[in-house]
Amino acid sequence: MALLVDKLRPRTLDALSYHPELSDRLRSLAQSGDFPHLLVYGPSGAGKKTRIIATLKELYGPGVEKIKIDARVFQTTSNRKLEFNIVSSVYHMEITPADVGNYDRVVVQELLKEVAQTQQVDMGAKQRFKVVVINEADHLTRDAQAALRRTMEKYSPNLRLILLANSTSNIIAPIRSRCLLVRVAAPTETDICSALSLAGKKEGWTESEVLNQRIAKESGRNLRRALLMFESIYAQNEKVTDKTPIPPPDWEALVTLTADEILAERSPARLLQVRARLYDLLTHCIPPTTILKTLTFKLVARVDDALKSDVIKWSAFYEHRIKLGSKVIFHLEAFVAKFMRIYEGYLMGMDF
Amino acid sequence: MKTGSRKVVDDSDEEEDAAPVKPSTAKAKPKSQPKPEETKDEPTTSSDYFASTKKRGRPAKAPEPPKPDNSQEDTASAKSKKAAEEPAKSKKSTSRASAKKDTKVIEDETLGDNDIFASEYGKVGKGDDEYVAGGDSDDGSDFEVFEVKPAAAKPKRGPAKKSSRSDEDEDVVMEDLPKISAPKALPGRKRKSEALIDEDEDEDFEAPKKQTKKAAAKPKSTASPAAKKPKASPTKGKKEDKVESKEIQDIFDSIPTIDAPEPPQGEAKKWKFGQQQSRDPEMAGTKELPTGEENCLAGLSFVFTGVLESLGRDEGSQLVKKYGGKVVGAPSSKTSYVVLGGDAGPKKLETIAKHKLKTINEDGLFELIKRLPANGGDGKAAEKYAEKQRADEEKVRAMAAEIDAEEKRKAAAAKPAKTSQAPKSASTAQQTPSSSQPVSSGDLWTTKYAPTSTSMICGNKAPVEKLQNWLRNWHRNAKLDFKKGGADGSGTYRAVIMHGGPGIGKTTAAHLVAKLEGYDIVETNASDTRSKKLVETSTLGVLDTTSLQGYFAAEGKQIEGEKKKLVLIMDEVDGMSAGDRGGVGAVAAIVKKTKIPIILICNERRLPKMKPFDNITFEIPFRRPTADQIRARLSTICFREGLKIPPPVLDGLIEGTNADIRQVINMLSTARLDQQGLNYEQGKDMSKAWEKHIILKPWDIVSKILSAQMFAPSSTTTLNDKIALYFNDHEFSYLMLQENYLKTKPTLAGRHQGKEQKLKALELMDNAASGISDGDLVDRMIHGTQQQWSLMPVHAVFSFVRPASFQYGNFSERAGFTSWLGNNSKQGKMSRYVKEIQGHMRLRTTGNRDEIRQQYLPLLQEKIIRRLMDEGKESVESVIDLMDEYYLTREDFDAMVELGLGPMNESKIKIETQTKATFTRLYNSRSHPMPFIKASNVVAPKKGAKEKPDLEDAIEESDEEEVVDEVKDDEEELDLKKDKYVSLPKKKKAPAKGKKAKKAEDDDEEKPKKGRGKAKAKA
Repeated sequence: MALLVDKLRPRTLDALSYHPELSDRLRSLAQSGDFPHLLVYGPSGAGKKTRIIATLKELYGPGVEKIKIDARVFQTTSNRKLEFNIVSSVYHMEITPADVGNYDRVVVQELLKEVAQTQQVDMGAKQRFKVVVINEADHLTRDAQAALRRTMEKYSPNLRLILLANSTSNIIAPIRSRCLLVRVAAPTETDICSALSLAGKKEGWTESEVLNQRIAKESGRNLRRALLMFESIYAQNEKVTDKTPIPPPDWEALVTLTADEILAERSPARLLQVRARLYDLLTHCIPPTTILKTLTFKLVARVDDALKSDVIKWSAFYEHRIKLGSKVIFHLEAFVAKFMRIYEGYLMGMDF
Repeated sequence: MKTGSRKVVDDSDEEEDAAPVKPSTAKAKPKSQPKPEETKDEPTTSSDYFASTKKRGRPAKAPEPPKPDNSQEDTASAKSKKAAEEPAKSKKSTSRASAKKDTKVIEDETLGDNDIFASEYGKVGKGDDEYVAGGDSDDGSDFEVFEVKPAAAKPKRGPAKKSSRSDEDEDVVMEDLPKISAPKALPGRKRKSEALIDEDEDEDFEAPKKQTKKAAAKPKSTASPAAKKPKASPTKGKKEDKVESKEIQDIFDSIPTIDAPEPPQGEAKKWKFGQQQSRDPEMAGTKELPTGEENCLAGLSFVFTGVLESLGRDEGSQLVKKYGGKVVGAPSSKTSYVVLGGDAGPKKLETIAKHKLKTINEDGLFELIKRLPANGGDGKAAEKYAEKQRADEEKVRAMAAEIDAEEKRKAAAAKPAKTSQAPKSASTAQQTPSSSQPVSSGDLWTTKYAPTSTSMICGNKAPVEKLQNWLRNWHRNAKLDFKKGGADGSGTYRAVIMHGGPGIGKTTAAHLVAKLEGYDIVETNASDTRSKKLVETSTLGVLDTTSLQGYFAAEGKQIEGEKKKLVLIMDEVDGMSAGDRGGVGAVAAIVKKTKIPIILICNERRLPKMKPFDNITFEIPFRRPTADQIRARLSTICFREGLKIPPPVLDGLIEGTNADIRQVINMLSTARLDQQGLNYEQGKDMSKAWEKHIILKPWDIVSKILSAQMFAPSSTTTLNDKIALYFNDHEFSYLMLQENYLKTKPTLAGRHQGKEQKLKALELMDNAASGISDGDLVDRMIHGTQQQWSLMPVHAVFSFVRPASFQYGNFSERAGFTSWLGNNSKQGKMSRYVKEIQGHMRLRTTGNRDEIRQQYLPLLQEKIIRRLMDEGKESVESVIDLMDEYYLTREDFDAMVELGLGPMNESKIKIETQTKATFTRLYNSRSHPMPFIKASNVVAPKKGAKEKPDLEDAIEESDEEEVVDEVKDDEEELDLKKDKYVSLPKKKKAPAKGKKAKKAEDDDEEKPKKGRGKAKAKA
């Protein structure tokens, strides 16, 4: 028994519960026989991938659901061996080039060419082209994106690309212009509530409307997150009421703790402790921007209004630096130091 | 105390020759004469006091007072009488003064050392008033005295003795004196002669100056007495019956002393770490440093305490040292001056009060420097100093003579050798021409002046003796099979290991001792490869053999029978590096069974790689000799080479090189090339230029840059110096700084109090942190795609210097090593885990890595780990079901445990061992779905068989197939081992032959993997 979020995942376009107009469009695209390259973007947990898989099913039939993982080895120019996992069915292939970091260009070039140069031999196949789904397309390097450009045009009879991204901002214009842009917006809170209650009904759990709303709000309109939270509440509590607390994920609990520590004492010694906490979060694979964002919101909620704009300003400042720099801890620490200083200055009522 | 007594004798010698000089000075300043006499009173009384105490000790001398009178009369009446008498008289008067001086000496250094002089105090005390009269008469007789002198001066010691004989009754001391000096070694006698020419001596060491001196003395007395005054003054001091000459005393008196504050009463405050905020002066560098006569503080000792107005501690002591003064750490009765600043230590104040020391402030010190004449003038301290100098000079000269003799001997030895056209050794041959005077031979000075006897080795006397003992007794010990330890326990060792810093004479000592003990030396050092094999083979020939030199010699040379003994000296044992693999072990093995003595030499004994020598070698540690031990030797060399380097400069060089004799000698040798002497500044510059450049360790770097002195206003380090500090280790320095910048007590915040201080500290912290953040952006430009390495100095400033400039101060805890590296690699490991987990879950989930970590993992932890913790083994079954659903493996489970944070932290996860065991057992017994197809055919491995030449194919066709198959099998096995999803069955049929084996394997694989559609082995 898998988790709810995966167990109850809609398999067809018809089963999708929200954005019906988008589902309709995808269906008609799939049936048109002239399927374009797609660039699907939207926030995490909006249902991009689910929608794409449903579309693929619409394109090829149930054959796309028979998937397997291929581990393939690529050799870079510097003779380094890269192991790369490919999820594939007979009709499509799903890759995450960002897995190999800076070598994604190699993967994109070799793999796509290989796929594009082989024609579909199964005469019974619905479509003559294969689809390659590229996850995290916004994390592709410029080189890899440039490598994609030509491939997309040259091999279009045999190959269609579906790029998945959180935002289009990192994708170069030539690629954007070659794709049909499909935006999958985050579900509204009502959408989430109805999805949750549907899930609850299927599982036969006692329902609590208020709790569902709270979860929807807490999840930040992320349906995956909402469903996982939903399940974890039911896993932890025998009886669920409207007031049942939503357990925060482990890392968020730690960030909250850190925020408390910062607010409780402002001193170099405390900053040392905070640094240890930040290191802890970073080593456990929490992205620095997530840490900074979460921490900022925890702090902002607890400081005086007069300080809020300042805190946000510095948070944004150092988030930018995290992107510019290489050793993120320096910037996180600098943010905390800055916060301590302005907070202490405010508390003492003087500007130093 | 040998030197001490010698010195004293020296004094009395001076008195004799002092006589001629004295009048000149007296004449030079007749006007000022009365004054000093008045000021004299105090010292006289003090010496009186001493005299009286001494008198008690030797009552026999007490009834002498009237005698000086007689002599006085004698001289007065018989001015033109006998020349011999003149010195006698002068001696008498001088003896009084000298006695006074001696009192001082005794008082200061060697209390109660010499009874003879003590006996004179009586005279001095009593003779005081007479002296005044005598002095007058002396003044009158000045000219006669000098006229007579030439005659008297010739029989140098003669007159002295004679006079003492004539004055026997009155002066017992005089009788004693010759007796003491007579049995003395030659140097003492020589010294005496030099003492006579004492004035000139300062400028010139040449002994045959007697005549000129006399010539010089005369004009001096008549024409320009004032010019000579300072030099003559040491002797004159006695005349005046004052310890200090009037002028010096004037200066001393005029120096504004300040009152030392009362030492705080009651319980001393506990010294706190942070309390010592800053020892830096408030107005550092505001005052101009005075310039004075050379060596003007000679013989004076200073103590610095408290914070001075403008002078830093270091600068202060530099200044004093520069002018020949001595800087002592704590005040004592011998301290001449205490330079007092604000906030002086209570302990020091107590000592000051106790000894009634003179306290001055820094202005006083400046005044002293400005006004004191060169070489300390005729101050008593300066005199003392001068005497010490003289004694040193004596030694130097004696040593120089020794070297001369040595060289002559060598030259003599070389001459016959030359004639028989077989030079003994290259060095002696080269040195032949230098017998008469030092001519620059081809040798390095370090070789030229290498010690030729154990007594010539500077310092480390005991270790050298130990070594000698051990070597001498080696063969006896060998007969006893190294069973008896002997007096120093060295008898049980077949080898010694000498260790100590560079340039302190280890190798020299080893060679010298071996030579003196009659051994033939076989030496290996770092220039030889010394791997295990080579050590074993090369030493094999040495260990059981005797030297040929014991049996044969070059033509015309004596066979040195005792030379058949061999000693193996292995130098620079710690220099055995990567190329000398196993070398240390091999040497240690040899040491255990050697038949000849082995001397090992190294710098660092404590290195782990030197461990094999523990317990099998006798340890002889060498220490750095002190400046005193080296100075004499160095002076000798300078003297012989005609270099004029004052002792303070030599001391500076020694200090600057960390007592590395070899380096100092090399420096002198370099200096000699274009200079005749060195002054203090030059010496300092030189030792700075020769400074051994040490690459600092990361810890040192960070503690240096964050130290309170680094950014203090008085600091002389420039921005470039600080940047240079960064470049000591540019990869670590900024990381270390980032790790430790929060661990200081910032000096800048120290000026504030309470809340302000707290806020200031936060401000500094913020500035430093943002500086580090700036630095990271630069770092990205350097290590990013652009690789702009020219930005390194910018990075140094942003990430290293600037943060330190805010946060500098004393460390409140130990500096730690940067945690960034560890955390970075941990992060790498963890992200591999996440990648792995995401890879496995991929068939079921749609999230990327971050989403898996942030959203799935908390729930999975809840559903898997927490359940195992809470529900125990009942839950194991369903937990494994869930894991299988997501294709998670056992490793992924461990990874999940490790990835937990906060409430799910790994340390807080406690699963009962029983549950764990059940889990493991159950997991292993079940089969699990596999999402994987291993596409191993992407990079087709080259098959060796295919590339085989056709020829072989043709010959052995039947074999060929088998070969191919086997190759395949091998590959498969390898693959299986790498593949963690496949648990290889332990027993495995030996890959018998081609297809059969392959089939068996296919079966094996199929079993554990249910969900595997296509067996990978089909490849």
